[in-house]
Amino acid sequence: MELLRPSSLGELDGGVFVHGGTEVVPLLRDGILHVDTLVDVRDVVPRGVDGNVIGAGTSLAELEADATIPDALREACRLAASPQLRSMGSLGGNLLQSTRCWYWRLQYPCRLHGGDRCHAREGEHREHAIFANDFCASAHPSDPAAALLALGARVRTNRRELDLAGLYRTPTQKARDIVTLEPGELILELELPPVEGSVYLKAMDRRRWAFPQVGVAAAKVAGETRIALAGVAPVPWLLGSLEDATPLPRTAWKVDVARALVQRALERLG
Amino acid sequence: MARLIRTEKEVEGRFEEVWLVVEEDPHEQWPAGPGAVVGRPAVRQDAPERVRGEARFTADIQLPGMLHAAMLRSPHAHARVNKIDLAPALALPGVRAALGPGEAKGLDAEAGYDGAPVAAVAAETFEQAQAALDAIAVEWEELEAVLDPETAVERDIFLADPVYHERGDFEQALANADVVVEGTYRTSVVLHNAMETHQAVCEWVGDTLNVYISTQYIWGVRRQVAEELGIPEDNVRVVCEYMGGGFGAKNSAGDYAFVAAELARRTGRPVRCALTRREENTASGNRNATIQRLTVGALSDGTIVALGGEFINAHGWNGWSTTTEGPMKMLYACDNVRTTRYTTKLNIPPMQAFRAPGFVEGTFGLECLIDELAAKLDVDPLDLRRQNYASSNDGTPYSSKNLSECYELAAKHWERRHDVRARSDARWKRGVGMASQVWFGGGGPPSYAWIRVGSDGRAHVVTAMQDIGTGTRTAMAQIAAEELGLPLTHVDVVLGDSARGPYATLSAGSSTTPSVGPAVRAAAADAKRQILEIATQRHDLAEDVLDIRDGNIVSADGSLSQPLEDLVGLLEDAQILGKGARGPNPTGMSVLTFGVQVAEVAVDVETGEVRVERVAAAHDVGRIINTLGAQSQVEGGIIQGIGHTLSEARLLDPDTGRTLTTTLDAYRMPTIADVPEIVCEFVDKPDEHLTNLGSKGLGEPPIIPIAAAIANAIRDATGADVHELPISREELLGALEEAKRKERRGAPAAV
Repeated sequence: MELLRPSSLGELDGGVFVHGGTEVVPLLRDGILHVDTLVDVRDVVPRGVDGNVIGAGTSLAELEADATIPDALREACRLAASPQLRSMGSLGGNLLQSTRCWYWRLQYPCRLHGGDRCHAREGEHREHAIFANDFCASAHPSDPAAALLALGARVRTNRRELDLAGLYRTPTQKARDIVTLEPGELILELELPPVEGSVYLKAMDRRRWAFPQVGVAAAKVAGETRIALAGVAPVPWLLGSLEDATPLPRTAWKVDVARALVQRALERLG
Repeated sequence: MARLIRTEKEVEGRFEEVWLVVEEDPHEQWPAGPGAVVGRPAVRQDAPERVRGEARFTADIQLPGMLHAAMLRSPHAHARVNKIDLAPALALPGVRAALGPGEAKGLDAEAGYDGAPVAAVAAETFEQAQAALDAIAVEWEELEAVLDPETAVERDIFLADPVYHERGDFEQALANADVVVEGTYRTSVVLHNAMETHQAVCEWVGDTLNVYISTQYIWGVRRQVAEELGIPEDNVRVVCEYMGGGFGAKNSAGDYAFVAAELARRTGRPVRCALTRREENTASGNRNATIQRLTVGALSDGTIVALGGEFINAHGWNGWSTTTEGPMKMLYACDNVRTTRYTTKLNIPPMQAFRAPGFVEGTFGLECLIDELAAKLDVDPLDLRRQNYASSNDGTPYSSKNLSECYELAAKHWERRHDVRARSDARWKRGVGMASQVWFGGGGPPSYAWIRVGSDGRAHVVTAMQDIGTGTRTAMAQIAAEELGLPLTHVDVVLGDSARGPYATLSAGSSTTPSVGPAVRAAAADAKRQILEIATQRHDLAEDVLDIRDGNIVSADGSLSQPLEDLVGLLEDAQILGKGARGPNPTGMSVLTFGVQVAEVAVDVETGEVRVERVAAAHDVGRIINTLGAQSQVEGGIIQGIGHTLSEARLLDPDTGRTLTTTLDAYRMPTIADVPEIVCEFVDKPDEHLTNLGSKGLGEPPIIPIAAAIANAIRDATGADVHELPISREELLGALEEAKRKERRGAPAAV
């Protein structure tokens, strides 16, 4: 395996990108990701916060400590992972992380791996999805993604600009990848609209270092309140109504938790 | 004089009849209460080495030319290796040897669970060894896998025969009871996940095999490895100077040790075989799940008259049957007890002892049941426990029992429940729960210690025990210092090497301190006697007026105070050598440990979150040697138990039997943020019948009552009966829903 360290965007030419390495390195070690060329993008992805623009290379640790960052994103960063992981992990990388579905991580031939069934649906799925779980019941693990979705963030890549929602798609038979980036496309910056208020609440199995069972981000932007959830669908989930949830036998409890947290988030938002 | 006796020996609640040679132990116990060194807080003597990274764990052993082993594991829950071809693996770069089924103990052609090892490879690097595993060609024959314990009971698929016990007449007593409470309780598989994974490094030096291993029993490993290799035990040297935790999963030599030894023999090179964290989570043993169908019958005045239970120990492919019914038989006075225990053999990862095996599970069921009885009788749970206090262990007297003092110590914490409940609001409901505990922990013979006092006036304790991370090294130094009249800084302990010191027992069953401690004291007393004999002659004073205090030879009238090194310094190269042996346990008595814990919890009734806010623990383990070390054991047991109660769940795929939670982000142990305030108290009364110390062990007792104390606190806070561990949000929200349904049906709420 070859490791490249480009110093400008112009040098990018294929390969798999790595920034903090907290996701890519374990995936390589576990043989889930097979790579000929690994591209360390730390010198080409902007890092730091400039007004309402966040460099995708900014670490979660930097964001959680920055008072100019809206509460929902700051709190989502603070409640994610462990201090060590937050110091290494970049915001851009966090948005692109894979599901924690144990079947996927253990390389069962599931639909996300190109197979023909979702093992979680019939198997052990107590931490899985309550929305859009028909094809694949995996749950998206990113706290910051839910926060950015509620905040209405825009994404700038080396090729285009898009809404954060457009970064993801629910997996289907034809398109099993949950991310819409094309090969060689790299997230550079995230831009936030003016935010009137926001909040992030998270239910987890222990007080620290756990992926969200349910994460609830709520934000008031241009007079409109938007709610997005983490850990409830294969992608970060913009909430319409919890009444539309389609829980599996062992994920019904997540609907109750989500309902309580959504109500609290709205109360908090005022 | 040495005495040959036939006696009952207990380890982890298992009893066997053995022949024992015991030395009479003529030493009177020290008076109760703190001494100069014993009964006081002592920082671990090896703390500086640990902090500086100098402590050498098995994981740190690097030998010249060392090879690395990796094991090929079954991808099926039950399968047989019909054909295996190791040649392609051997042809790969760096690969030096390979073993197939039957070529080392633990590598079997029949794989009984997903993850069972069948072959192994040694290579220059671990990565090469792992890569070589993929090249091994295996023809598997898949066999029927049984994953469900109830099915196994129906079909008589057992690892051990069912065990039936009855005293009195259970049926009759139940018929006469005024109140009956029944409940089914379930506990889940939990994993040890010690910081140091299971591992060994084996190296042949001439005819001798050096085994560096993370173990709780260096002498057991020595015997097992010698037996397996067919060589004299003295040709096996086992070393474990520092150890990163065992909790029962390292009581004997595992497959990794036999694999390393055999590969070292074949290659003539040192070989390391170390489990990865994933292997640790799939194939290194676990606390088995249980299903407990329990019944209690009581008179309306609160007297418990009948206790019954059917216990299913849902074991995997291997293990031994733990006494899950033990607490039901031992904790309360009850003339009519009937228990049945089934131990299934399932195609899931094997059981290994885990910190009070059986009693942790059994106490969860029993102590929840007793609280539900208290609710039904509308009596105070503490009063109910005191009322049914057992005064003997099924007719056998206790060597000592101070559970009532534990209840006394716990009472003030229990009293807080009114204030705790009052701090509830619409969202957070608060409550307090308690549970008590009985367990073994008396240790026993044999164990030996030597002691050497040099002309510098310093003492070295030599005993081939192991300190598995509990701090027993420091406790042994304190015992020697107390007896010798030396400051603790003048005593060190040499341990962890079977070639450097006499036999000492295994560190399991809360037995290290009560087993080895008395031998250390006897050795120190032997050395002290010799020193005082010399002092008598030097100073022309009677022996009985002399003593050693804080490193000085002193006379009773105060006229003499001579630094010890001045006296023994006269001897130049001569050394004072003391030796000591563990004396017998008291005959005809039950040596047991007791304790009570009171947990305060807050329950978010909308999201099912449980926060343990405070735990108070009162334990009776005889004399406390190191008050700081003892506190650390209690805290560790409670924290580990909180994980088992709330967040840790080992999950299997119900279809394939494969472990799904193989990493520490999926198998969730508590973090420091989950740790409550812990208040720790001890009765600290020496057991006057037990050895020259009166000390029992403390490794296991603190983990026993915590799960039930938390579950009972949840009931106190919310009225919800929690019957299954771990108490996940799913479990708790379900229990809250059930409690609401009951209330609507008009059944009396528990609060």
